[in-house]
Amino acid sequence: MAMDPECPECAAAVPLSPETLVGEIVTCPDCGMELEVTQVNPAVLQAAPEEEEDWGE
Amino acid sequence: METRAVELLRRLVSIPSLSGREQEASRFLAEWLERQGARAFVDEAGSAVGQFGSGPREILLLGHIDTFPGHIPVRIEGNILHGRGSVDAKGPLCAFAAAAGEVEIPDRWKITVVGAVEEECATSKGARHIVAQRKKAGATPFCCLIGEPSHWDRLTLGYKGRLLAEINLCAPLAHSGGPEMLPAEKGVELWRLISDGCRARNEQNGASSPFECLSPSLRSIRSRDDDCYGHVTLSLGFRLPAWESPEELRSDLADWLRDWKPVFPADRMEAESRTEGSPEPKLEIFLSGDEVCWKGNKSNPLVQSFLAAIRQSGGQPRFVLKTGTSDLNVLGPAFPQMPIAAYGPGDSSLDHTPDECLDLSEYQRSIEILKEVLKKLMLSSAV
Repeated sequence: MAMDPECPECAAAVPLSPETLVGEIVTCPDCGMELEVTQVNPAVLQAAPEEEEDWGE
Repeated sequence: METRAVELLRRLVSIPSLSGREQEASRFLAEWLERQGARAFVDEAGSAVGQFGSGPREILLLGHIDTFPGHIPVRIEGNILHGRGSVDAKGPLCAFAAAAGEVEIPDRWKITVVGAVEEECATSKGARHIVAQRKKAGATPFCCLIGEPSHWDRLTLGYKGRLLAEINLCAPLAHSGGPEMLPAEKGVELWRLISDGCRARNEQNGASSPFECLSPSLRSIRSRDDDCYGHVTLSLGFRLPAWESPEELRSDLADWLRDWKPVFPADRMEAESRTEGSPEPKLEIFLSGDEVCWKGNKSNPLVQSFLAAIRQSGGQPRFVLKTGTSDLNVLGPAFPQMPIAAYGPGDSSLDHTPDECLDLSEYQRSIEILKEVLKKLMLSSAV
């Protein structure tokens, strides 16, 4: 797997372990943005889904 | 032709199961789970339980089998199933049952499906029994999924806490033409003090969204007079953010209402043992239904599996925080390190309404997502 993909927000390298799976949430070490691993081999990051709010159960 | 999963849902929705009267529904679900190959039974709390597999690692799928009151004729029109509980929450519960019965389970794993009792009446008796059993056995589940409607492509990470309050005010009657507030007016004043207090706490804590706010609601206010006194009863509910525990709210209530000298009886017997007929206003506050706010974290195999499964299915996954309270508020604090979230088909804005219904396409889609999630969890190399 291509290591250290770029943060889509600040372009910093985001270190990932070889065992990283699609769907994992990681945090950019530079800007602190929450990122989702959407692809591995090569690794691709995008902004993690935001937290919406809703009423009810 | 009706699929097995749709038949399960239609038949379970057709069995009335108000909180405390879930027996027939629990028996039905347990028997259905057994026919799918689970070791199934109705537990001591009255919940339906079905265990697939027998390994030491447990995936706990806990939905609730009781429903909010109100009869809606059960019918399928087009692709929509109408009926009380179709969304809240037999749809999610049946999706759990259907998915668990259709996946292969490696030796190290078991999947436990629970149709828990008494979620709607605020005791969460079923969920608490499941917690107590696991605590007694020293067995924390690998992860837990709570069955509540989130839509097929959305995962609920957290719910607000809750505290229920019944406030009983006894005050001397006064002439309606005089300056003294009448007892009913004092009841309204109490509500104003409480809602102002909540507003002030929200401002102090910089609460900027519904999930972050301490939110009071006045569910009912009743008054009656006897010879010399008026009796006012206010029924309140509070939705709690992460920064306000039930204990902290109790302390706040005592502070906001200090001029009224409130007492907090532990129960009705303690309240009745005190002397009646005092000329001063008496204010008793009975608190119940306490749950803390809980929000699961995102960096765990459960969330990872969901995001991957939803994207694999062509969806755009989303996270949601709910302003209600659920059995997640019981399981989460009981096992704080355990990955937990809530999921299920359906639109929660239909909960408790006369229009409650579930799109069966969404139901089927959520089952496919759940099957994929279960496979990913059990085969993950991270485990």
